[in-house]
Amino acid sequence: MPHLTLSHFLVVSALLFGFGVLAVVTRRNAVAVLMGIELILNAANLNLVAFGRYVAGGISGQVFGLFVIVLAAAEAAVGLAIILAIYQMVRNIDTSQATTLKE
Amino acid sequence: MTITQFNIASASWFRPELALTAGILLLFLLDVLVRKQSRYRVAVLTVAALACVGVAAALLAFQPVESRAMFNGMIASDPFATFWKWLFLGAAALTVLIAARSDEFPSPRIGVFYALLLSVVLGMFLMATSLDLLMLYLAIEMVSLPSYAIAGYKPGDRRAAEASLKYVIYGGVASGIMLFGLSYIYGLVGSTNLTALGVRLESLAAPASAGGQLGLRVALMVAVIFVLCGIGYKIAAVPWHMWCPDVYEGAPTPFVAFLSVGPKAAGFALAVRVFYSFLASGGGPEGFARGLADVPWPAVVGVLSAVTMTLGNLSALHQNNLKRLLAYSSISHAGYALMGLAAASQLGVQSVMIYMLVYLVMNLGAFLAVIAIAQATGSETIADCNGLSRRHPLLAVTFAVFLFSLTGLPPLAGFVGKWYLFVAVLSHYAGDGGAWYVTLAVIAALNTAISLYYYVRIIRAMFIEAPAGELVVRPRVSYQIMLGTFSAALLLFGVWWNPLIEWTQASLTFLTRG
Amino acid sequence: MNTQFAIFVFLALATLIGAASVALSRNIFWSAMGLLSCLVGVGGLYVMLSADFVAITQLLVYIGGVLVLILFAIMLTSQIQEISVSNRSVGLVGGYLIFFVVSTLLSFVALWAPWRLTSKEPVANTTVALGDGLLGTWLLPFEIASVLLVATLVGAIVIARKEVKSDS
Repeated sequence: MPHLTLSHFLVVSALLFGFGVLAVVTRRNAVAVLMGIELILNAANLNLVAFGRYVAGGISGQVFGLFVIVLAAAEAAVGLAIILAIYQMVRNIDTSQATTLKE
Repeated sequence: MTITQFNIASASWFRPELALTAGILLLFLLDVLVRKQSRYRVAVLTVAALACVGVAAALLAFQPVESRAMFNGMIASDPFATFWKWLFLGAAALTVLIAARSDEFPSPRIGVFYALLLSVVLGMFLMATSLDLLMLYLAIEMVSLPSYAIAGYKPGDRRAAEASLKYVIYGGVASGIMLFGLSYIYGLVGSTNLTALGVRLESLAAPASAGGQLGLRVALMVAVIFVLCGIGYKIAAVPWHMWCPDVYEGAPTPFVAFLSVGPKAAGFALAVRVFYSFLASGGGPEGFARGLADVPWPAVVGVLSAVTMTLGNLSALHQNNLKRLLAYSSISHAGYALMGLAAASQLGVQSVMIYMLVYLVMNLGAFLAVIAIAQATGSETIADCNGLSRRHPLLAVTFAVFLFSLTGLPPLAGFVGKWYLFVAVLSHYAGDGGAWYVTLAVIAALNTAISLYYYVRIIRAMFIEAPAGELVVRPRVSYQIMLGTFSAALLLFGVWWNPLIEWTQASLTFLTRG
Repeated sequence: MNTQFAIFVFLALATLIGAASVALSRNIFWSAMGLLSCLVGVGGLYVMLSADFVAITQLLVYIGGVLVLILFAIMLTSQIQEISVSNRSVGLVGGYLIFFVVSTLLSFVALWAPWRLTSKEPVANTTVALGDGLLGTWLLPFEIASVLLVATLVGAIVIARKEVKSDS
């Protein structure tokens, strides 16, 4: 079995990025597209940590990775908040329709 | 100096940003403390927001002008950044003034809006000053994330919410792709610091084998194109413009006005800093032309510019909603400004700066006119402008001034802005690829003619069509004052543009690579 | 070394199979499970890159936070037929085409670009180093990120909460 090198990690991240883009361009469901974005961010993050380990040395890649994880979480939170807002509107419309039917 | 001492020393060049941060927190606090039913709520919060911007501006004015790196090479302080900071603060102050008297922010939500607006401004400050890949990514997200929230701000409006969802998704994809590109740059040079970038990239190319050379070229191309995705999204250039019309239509108009000038200008500031000072070989804008990875990047930017302005203008032709029309118009203006980047020269950078400054005033003015019209009629289509000249001459005349200025007709400031872009591009006509630069200028001239058509549609509706019904149009007093001031400024700087030239000339020094 | 490579292959497969099911599964719930497998796999790869603190953060924030948020979103929106994002003209074939072009190109870069490897040993105690770094070299990003989080979360709460009908 071959020795583990930088390129192994980079190929995994390249494929991960490819799947992320595939999810983003083909899925129609907004939540699925958000998941595709998470794949892209993970691919970039894997690159950063791998480069930090094999190219830069030190912890700069890991620090970058930590920030990306935090920002990805914030982005997902905003995305969910908007989905929640849409959900509330749809539900409100549904319930109001239900009451008009009862009268 | 130790790292901590360096951080503490940097703080004295960081006061405007600190003032903004304090302002953000103060507004969050005030938003909770001032009672929801209070009559003075909006007034108190508006004054607080303006005070924060004012304090930041005062601190910026008293900041020593010298180029230096701060916080261990995270951000720069230089005249170039200071120019953009003034522009951002101006946009923020005007947006606060517009939002205060708008109907689109119910008073329970306006405090948070101001706080989010200031955090976007802080993000734009960082975009214009970033010297580090991490800082750059963080700054872009700092502009994007609060913007997503504000875009979906209208309570109970499903289309606005879906537009903001689209905004989040496109924005997330663009910034993710950009991050991937940044990670390759980091991998190639082994450092996140932009000042070390150019030198290391050059030393990288020399010893590599033939296969390595090709790999390096492809890696650099991928990295630059991916980074362009992120920046193109921020300035809404084709093909990253799809979010623009929907978000502009759905989001609160005062914020749209800000969005169309602020983040766009910040995107250009970032593009200039990254592509001209660090990725350019040999430093300076001219180095950009010599080609990273043997790709003629100015040509790439030139094609982007031509496509962006043409698609923006052609799509604007058949729009009836004023906000959508202005959205496409703002896309085409990003295309015009890209001409300055394609010129790849000091003059090009200066012309982008002038254009963004003028564009700030005329586009804010146009959106302000749309807000005033929508407040009277309740909707924002071209038909709502019918007979406006008879209902409210001031509004009609100032709106016409903004539209003519957006077209680029003399004697308005929009003409000066466009003139310098053309000069920057045409100054290359005798050099390499001169024919292409002339072609770009011709395309831009044709586009100006196309844009005249749809701007004149609005003007025709205002001055020729008969008003439908007896509708009273009475814009708020503060809006009337702003409309008057904006158009006066456009007229004034349309004939006396020396101050613009001198200011941008003095702001052209920026921290280059170390 | 061999066991190490075997673990790598296992983690890489977990990551990529998970990613594939996010992109391809028509059932949104299976997509979420795929995302779980993918995130755990990437976390494992971080451990192999001696980035243990990042790996723990990945588990806590991504799986404990983001994935739970996404599951919430899936359960909520299952009642709405589709919150779709329009403006999409790329079909499945176009998507596969993009996938193959992008991953081939990037794999080529991964294998052939002249990455200049360092001979430095990985940092042994990353938690201490990261703590020092965040309060030293990376102080500014650290503070800015906290402002950003406050602003974003307040914004998210404002748009997600039910409207208070007291606008006088």
